[in-house]
Amino acid sequence: MIKRVEVQYRGVFQKTLGKYIGGDIVQIASRMGKVAFSNGRYSDAPERNGIPCKYFAFVSPDLSEEELEAECGSSLDIADVDVSVVVDDALAKGVEPWGWHGIRPVNEKVGNKACLLMVTRHDHEHLLKFTAKQPYPYRLATLEGDASLAGLWVYKDDLTRERCLGAVAAVDPNIISIEAVEEYLLDTTQDADRVRAAREAYDATLRRVKVVTPDQGIDWPHEVPVLPKWHEFEEGGVAVRGVERGFKLGPRGQNRNDGFLHGTSKTERPVVRFDLCIKCTLCWADCPDECFDPTDDGLYDINYDVCTGCHKCAEVCPVKECIVMVDELQFDHEKSPWEHHKKDPPGYVQWAEEKKGDTRIRYRHVTGQGFEKVKGTTVPVRIGGPGFETVKGTTPAKS
Amino acid sequence: MTTVAEKASVWERELLLTGCQAVSHAVKLADVDVIAAYPIRPYTEVMDQLSQLIADGELDAEYIIADSEHSQFEIVKHASSVGARAFGGSSGTGWMYGMEALVVTATDRLPPLFLVGNRALDDPGAFGVEHNDAMSIRDMGWLICWSSTAQEALEHVFIGYRIAEDKRVRMPMALAMDGGFLTHAQHMVKVPTLEAVKEFLPPYDLGDRVLHPDNPISVAPQVNEDWVIELRRQNWEAARRARKVIKEAYQEFNAIFGAHGSEYGNPYFTEFMTEDADVVLIGIGAVCMPTQTAVRRMREKGHKVGYVNLRWFRPFPTEELRECLGRFKAVGVIDRDFSHGSPDNGGILMNDVRACLYPLRDRPNVINFIGGLGGRDISIDECINMYERAQEAGRGDLPEEIVSWTGLRE
Repeated sequence: MIKRVEVQYRGVFQKTLGKYIGGDIVQIASRMGKVAFSNGRYSDAPERNGIPCKYFAFVSPDLSEEELEAECGSSLDIADVDVSVVVDDALAKGVEPWGWHGIRPVNEKVGNKACLLMVTRHDHEHLLKFTAKQPYPYRLATLEGDASLAGLWVYKDDLTRERCLGAVAAVDPNIISIEAVEEYLLDTTQDADRVRAAREAYDATLRRVKVVTPDQGIDWPHEVPVLPKWHEFEEGGVAVRGVERGFKLGPRGQNRNDGFLHGTSKTERPVVRFDLCIKCTLCWADCPDECFDPTDDGLYDINYDVCTGCHKCAEVCPVKECIVMVDELQFDHEKSPWEHHKKDPPGYVQWAEEKKGDTRIRYRHVTGQGFEKVKGTTVPVRIGGPGFETVKGTTPAKS
Repeated sequence: MTTVAEKASVWERELLLTGCQAVSHAVKLADVDVIAAYPIRPYTEVMDQLSQLIADGELDAEYIIADSEHSQFEIVKHASSVGARAFGGSSGTGWMYGMEALVVTATDRLPPLFLVGNRALDDPGAFGVEHNDAMSIRDMGWLICWSSTAQEALEHVFIGYRIAEDKRVRMPMALAMDGGFLTHAQHMVKVPTLEAVKEFLPPYDLGDRVLHPDNPISVAPQVNEDWVIELRRQNWEAARRARKVIKEAYQEFNAIFGAHGSEYGNPYFTEFMTEDADVVLIGIGAVCMPTQTAVRRMREKGHKVGYVNLRWFRPFPTEELRECLGRFKAVGVIDRDFSHGSPDNGGILMNDVRACLYPLRDRPNVINFIGGLGGRDISIDECINMYERAQEAGRGDLPEEIVSWTGLRE
């Protein structure tokens, strides 16, 4: 028997976390007398910030090391995963690995009766609004927490690692047992708090597992791209057509490379209060992914399909509360916010403020400190600002 | 006094290590004096880990960051010439960039050890495994050996230094491993005690060829047609003598580590279910994983197939392989490399294997599969297909072209 675990994580920001969880499972399983090893999906490299990546662990109670290795050691991706640990719930909106594969459902590899385990603050029903239907029943477990994001050379030691181990033991004790997790953590860290965190996550997860039936989830028409045969493309290597220079004014005016959208890289997305915009151009100029479309009225629309959620626009915007980063799972579509604003300025402001809520995320995760939440303010509509030149705006409700 | 072999264990502890990390722990235990580093994936992690071991005070060695592979390999070569046990490594085109230094390390008859984390020769930016990088030095007087597990890689650092530094050999050693599949996978690896390593691996002693102020000599002075052919003949002799030294090294390794679970049969290759086989595949590196599963599955259906996992590529185990492969009706050679324009446009390994078998009166049919290039995975089903083709060849049903590509979109 082989148990397969995948850890779906954000490239760079969670690489160390993913590798640790994979390695921990191997060490715990070994202590239980099983054979195990772990590797990453090598084709994810070179990792880019936020790109969905995978780490794997393989455990067997009865195969020899050589047999387990032979079965699992030489393929780049795996099917029929027993537990898929998702350490950022925004991955529920789809994962687009490095090149060629298109956007795929987060539960694509989760097998019959297997478990999708997500670190999240959302409930099952909300997560299933984004997750693809499967033809067979599988389990969805949630572990309450935020995405533990850090930088390339730093690791955010916030107990997510220990809690995930406890949760894996809860959803599939045939991989690792909670007792073995506790013993391992105590042995290697001599830290009772870590042991407690794992046990608490174990107990909590046991209560938060639900069976997802084939009618639950959304339709996900996903086509696997067909790459050309060796004689079907020009000799001398793959040539990617360049993106045309310049841009046109107007909605969707930017020229981009559609080959790779980046949109699944984001944990938060920028929400813009167009009425507060002073048209300084900084968001458009500084966006590393050119996701801002100049519009014919001098504003900048956002194409969320290419936005990576990097926070740069929110950082450079000089106007308080004009661009704010908001949890990606609060949004169920990628439509143009500018068109929404144009059609109904007061309604848009109202909608934006609802999404923003009352906390703001301060982004420091590349330093390994994660992010912190601070209190936000609700700024009244700017009379005379875009969309409110002639009409008097309504003051958004205090959220 | 009890010898190490008689002790309860030669292993100090078991650690979770990637292939690269396993090598770095071995480099530490081999008490290496000089390390030169320049990064290129996938071998880089060995240098990350070594710098960590030095920073943690676990290893006392000079760690020099070079400005390119060429400088890196020169540093390793020069360190080796002053009597320092030296370590370097690289991957793919980085390895090729330092080629000049690699060639002269061999002609100067110096024995440092390099890790080659196999990588495609780059364009278009590929970093998956291909064996052409390590094989590019096959004619230069190097020892070239592949490992297919992290444990084997760790052990071959000791075995490698011992063979390379032997007075009868003094050739540089390239320890190769498949990029990604081995360099980056984490396994539980047994790390031996320093005592056991010391018993197996004697100190590096260059004797009177050591470059030192107390021993003023000039190494590699200008020579032309008046010396070079004789030097090459010496090189040739060393590569021949290496075979005896390799045998001794594995015997000694088995004597110390064998009773404790690590034992090698034939130094050069491992045979898997070949005993009564009609046909076999032979390959190098991580491809042994899907092929061996394919063998098991085919055996369950009564097919007599086996696998030969080649470890040593230089010196090429001519006699041993001739004897081994001569038993079968057909041999399918898997090349994770290419040699465009070579005989039959075959892979490098296939042409070596075929040349090796040629003197046999009743030789097996040889067919060739090129696959897994650029790090593409070779599936179990592909391996089963290769076995079926080999079985056809075993029945005398040879294809028009003996070379075919596997895993190709065609």
